Order: sequence, then structure tokens, then C-alpha cells
Amino acid sequence: MTTGEITISDVSKRFRLDRDRPSSLKEAVLRIGRTTDIDDFWVLRNVDLHIEPDSFFGLVGHNGSGKSTLLRLIANIHRPTTGEITTEGRMSALLELGSGFHPDLTGRENVFLNGTMLGLTRKHMAEVMDDIIGFSGIGDFIDEPVKIYSSGMYVRLGFAVAVNVNPEILLVDEVIAVGDEEFQRRCMDHMHRLRENGTTIVLVSHDAALMRSLCDRVGWLDHGRLVEVGDPDDVIDAYLKHASQDEGDTLTARD
Amino acid sequence: MMLTLSPSARKSANLIIHFAERESKARYKRSLLGWFWSFANSLTTVAVYSFVFGAVYNAQPPITDNGRAENFGLYLFTGLIAWTVFTGVVTGCMGWLQDVSDLRKKIYFPTETALLGGAACNAIQTALEAAVLLVIMALFTNISWTALFLVFALLLTMMFALGVGFIVAVLNARYRDIQYLTGVLIGVGFFLVPVVYPPSLLERDDVPEIGRQLVTWNPPAIFVEIARDGAYFLQTPDPLKVLVATAWAVGTFTVGWLYFRSRSMEISEEL
Ligand SMILES: Nc1ncnc2c1ncn2[C@@H]1O[C@H](COP(=O)(O)OP(=O)(O)OP(=O)(O)O)[C@@H](O)[C@H]1O
Ligand SMILES: [Mg+2]
Repeated sequence: MTTGEITISDVSKRFRLDRDRPSSLKEAVLRIGRTTDIDDFWVLRNVDLHIEPDSFFGLVGHNGSGKSTLLRLIANIHRPTTGEITTEGRMSALLELGSGFHPDLTGRENVFLNGTMLGLTRKHMAEVMDDIIGFSGIGDFIDEPVKIYSSGMYVRLGFAVAVNVNPEILLVDEVIAVGDEEFQRRCMDHMHRLRENGTTIVLVSHDAALMRSLCDRVGWLDHGRLVEVGDPDDVIDAYLKHASQDEGDTLTARD
Repeated sequence: MMLTLSPSARKSANLIIHFAERESKARYKRSLLGWFWSFANSLTTVAVYSFVFGAVYNAQPPITDNGRAENFGLYLFTGLIAWTVFTGVVTGCMGWLQDVSDLRKKIYFPTETALLGGAACNAIQTALEAAVLLVIMALFTNISWTALFLVFALLLTMMFALGVGFIVAVLNARYRDIQYLTGVLIGVGFFLVPVVYPPSLLERDDVPEIGRQLVTWNPPAIFVEIARDGAYFLQTPDPLKVLVATAWAVGTFTVGWLYFRSRSMEISEEL
């Protein structure tokens, strides 16, 4: 495998939706012998996808179609129920608000912690610290616990860290939409530059225009199935056409 | 000396250091006196027990090898160090895992590093306490090379406690009342380990045989006995006990580790 490559082979992910799953031993004991109806919910089904190194890949799909789950599987946060995912290279991810930050630690401490998790040395992190503080624009708040940050500040710092650790793979969920206009534009510029320097980027966004302009290839997830992969314009057109057909029915019903 | 580690081992090592630092900072912040507080805590315990058992009940501390009646406080402290490692690490593991579980839902890292880091912090504190104990013994009573068995016993206790801690931490992530149950069991367990009473108490006729066996052969009791043999009685422990203790420690650690590794990916899915 080459650096920056992502291979997803026949991956399915099941979540157990056991609504009255006991959360204490006491409940569990009291419930012995009673049958619980466990709903299995397949969030992803048989996803096969190969993302070339050095490419900008976009994921589209309606709410609840499994985009974030797929990113979490790639980031190794969850394990696929079946199938296999292999990635090659240092991966940084910006998946949700406060992605990878411990609320009690200060921004600065979190930056070091994140670096450690990515396998970078303290020395390296100290060197890029100024860039991170500069890019995030959060100023003196860097030495405050992140739990007092606003949503925008979380995202700013998260993005600043994610792009300043020389990632070979970068996963970005739609969170950057929380940032203000100016910040979003800087994020786009930065991703563009990373892409030029050979970083593989996977981006989830509901912004069709943005996806068309940034992505080399786009995949469309529908109820956990990857229904189409290919040229951004083709896939996004097909997705939008489908979406307008069953308008008002965009939220998946759990079946 | 340069250790050559694979990148992923180095990453884990750095994470362990991070979590150890964090644990020590948390302890430090909890009180102005920081580390000193934990000393004060053990010294107070020793003082209280010495007073209660020595002065009030007039208990005689076991006579050591060189025929001198020793201080009941030191006798207690030796046993208490091992027992505190056990309870501190087992309870700690549940907290350490809980502490990082939100983080782990958002970013991947080997979760066991949080538990190993917490345990490392505990080990440093224990080492300091043991050093204080040995210095006091050297100054006021006596020590010998057998004090190494104290170190050995503490290492075994640490391994055993981590093994148990790995298991209860995973269970506690699933069933939140495991921590209370563990607390109760530890409270009961304290009286199954001859820390505040000398093992000779078991020779009394009104102690049932099963109780005697339980108190003699449960793992923490063996660790305590080895520690005390080496540091307090200045004698080499019973080789059979050393063997059994080692088997318990290595076995429990291995089982706990394997169990933790097999379940650790599911922790991110617990809501
Ligand atoms: N830990 C979990 N346990 C149970 N169900 C989950 C879990 N995580 C996600 N799901 C479910 O999986 C489905 C897909 O979620 P996911 O977040 O991947 O969707 P998405 O495509 O990112 O949607 P959106 O566009 O709204 O962000 C949802 O129905 C969600 O409820
Ligand atoms: Mg999502």
C-alpha cells in the first residue's frame, strides 16, 4: 500500500438499538429470563471503496445515511462489524465538535495530547504551536480549559491542529460549517494547499457547490449503501435529483 | 541509553507518560499539599491504628527475628502499602477509563494507555512511601537485604491489581454500578487480609478452617505476607508462597489484559 491510501472492503456496521438495555448490574439481574427485543440497526451495508492516495474524496447523502459513521470507522474509532478497512499513513480527523479534546485540559495541553495521539513528539508540537494558535485565532484562550470555548472556537482549534500535524490522510466531517464565513474560506484554502502537498482528504458536506469545486471523486451513501461513486458532477446531480424526488422524506426511518 | 521502540510502541509510551502526568496533576490540584497529602494520609492511618490496636486493645506486635518487639505502626504500614496499591489501582482503573471514554468516542488511541498511565503514577507514589518506610526502619529499627521482597511483593500486587482493574473497568463502562459493588467488596476484603490484625489471630480455635485457608491463601494476603516477611521480619518468605503469588499476578494480569484488549474497541460504542 502507498501512503495516503484508504481501502474499504465489504464493510458493514451494525449498532445495537436495545432501548431497555440494562445500564446497571442490578437491572441486568432483575431482568434475567425476560426476553429483550434487540433491534439490530445496520448503519452501513457492504461498502466497498478505494480512495487513492493524494486525492480529494467527497461523501454525500441524506441525514442519517451513515457518512459520519463511515468516517469514524476509517478513523478507527469504531470497528466494522464485518469487512475490513486499511489505511496507510498518519491520519488526522476533524469529526465533530470538540473532536479529540479533553474538556478539562487547556487548549495548549490538548494540542500536545493530540500530537501524542498522532505519534508526534512534544518538540514537533512546540514548533507548530505558534502556527496553530495563529491559524485558530483564539489568542489567549489557548491557556483556558476548552470546556469554556464556544462552538466556533472548538472547531477553529480542532481544524488548526488537524491540518498542522502534517497529516497524510485528513478526514473532515461537516463541522467546519460552524465556523464563520472568513474561517470557512481559510479552511477551504488550507485543504486545497494540503491536497497540493499530497494529503488524501475525505470530506463530508451538504454543500453541493463546495463539493463540486473541491472533490476529485464523490461517493453517495443512501441508507448505508454506497450507491454511486465517480465524477463529482455526475454523482451530485444524481443525488440531488433523487433527493428532490422524495422531498420531505429526507430523514431515514429506522427499519 | 537509547531505547529503540517501534513507532506505535513509542506512541503508547508517550501516552502513558501523558496520562501519568495528568493523574499526578489531578492529585496535586486536589489539595494544596499535593503529594505530601498522601504521605500524611498513610502516616495518620498508621498513627490511628497504632493507637487503637496498641494502646486501646493493647495488642502486641509480632516479635521480629532479632527478638525485639517492634512498633505496631511499622507493622501496619508494611501491610498497608501493599493493600493500598491493590485498592488504589483497582478503583483507579474504573475512574481512569471513565475519564477518557468521552475522548475515545471522538478519537482513536489505545485505551489501555490511560490505565497504565494511572497505574504508573500510583507506582511512583508507592515507591516514595516504601522509601519513607525503609528509611524509618533503617533509622529506628533494622533493615536487611530481604527488604527487596517488599519491592517484589509490590510489583506483584501492581500486576495483579491491573489485571483485576482491566476487567472491572470494562464491566463498569457497561454496568455503572460495578464501581459501588467493587467498593463494597474491597471493604469486605480488607478484613480477609491480615493488615490490621496479625495472622496469628487465625490460630484461635473459634476461627473456622475455611476462614483460615481463605485468609492465608487469597492473593492480596499473600502479597502482604511477602512484603511483611521481607521488610518487617527480615526473613525470606516461604518459597511456595512466592511461587503462588507470582502465578496469581502473572495469570491475572494476562487474563485482564487479553479481556481488555478484546473489548476495548466497544467502549466507544457505549453511550
Ligand atoms: N453509537 C451509535 N449507536 C446507535 N446508532 C448510531 C450510533 N451512531 C450513529 N448511529 C445511527 O447511525 C445512523 C447514521 O448516522 P451518521 O451519523 O453516520 O449519519 P450521517 O450520514 O452522518 O448523517 P448527518 O448528515 O445527519 O450527519 C443514524 O441513524 C444514527 O442514529
Ligand atoms: Mg454526520
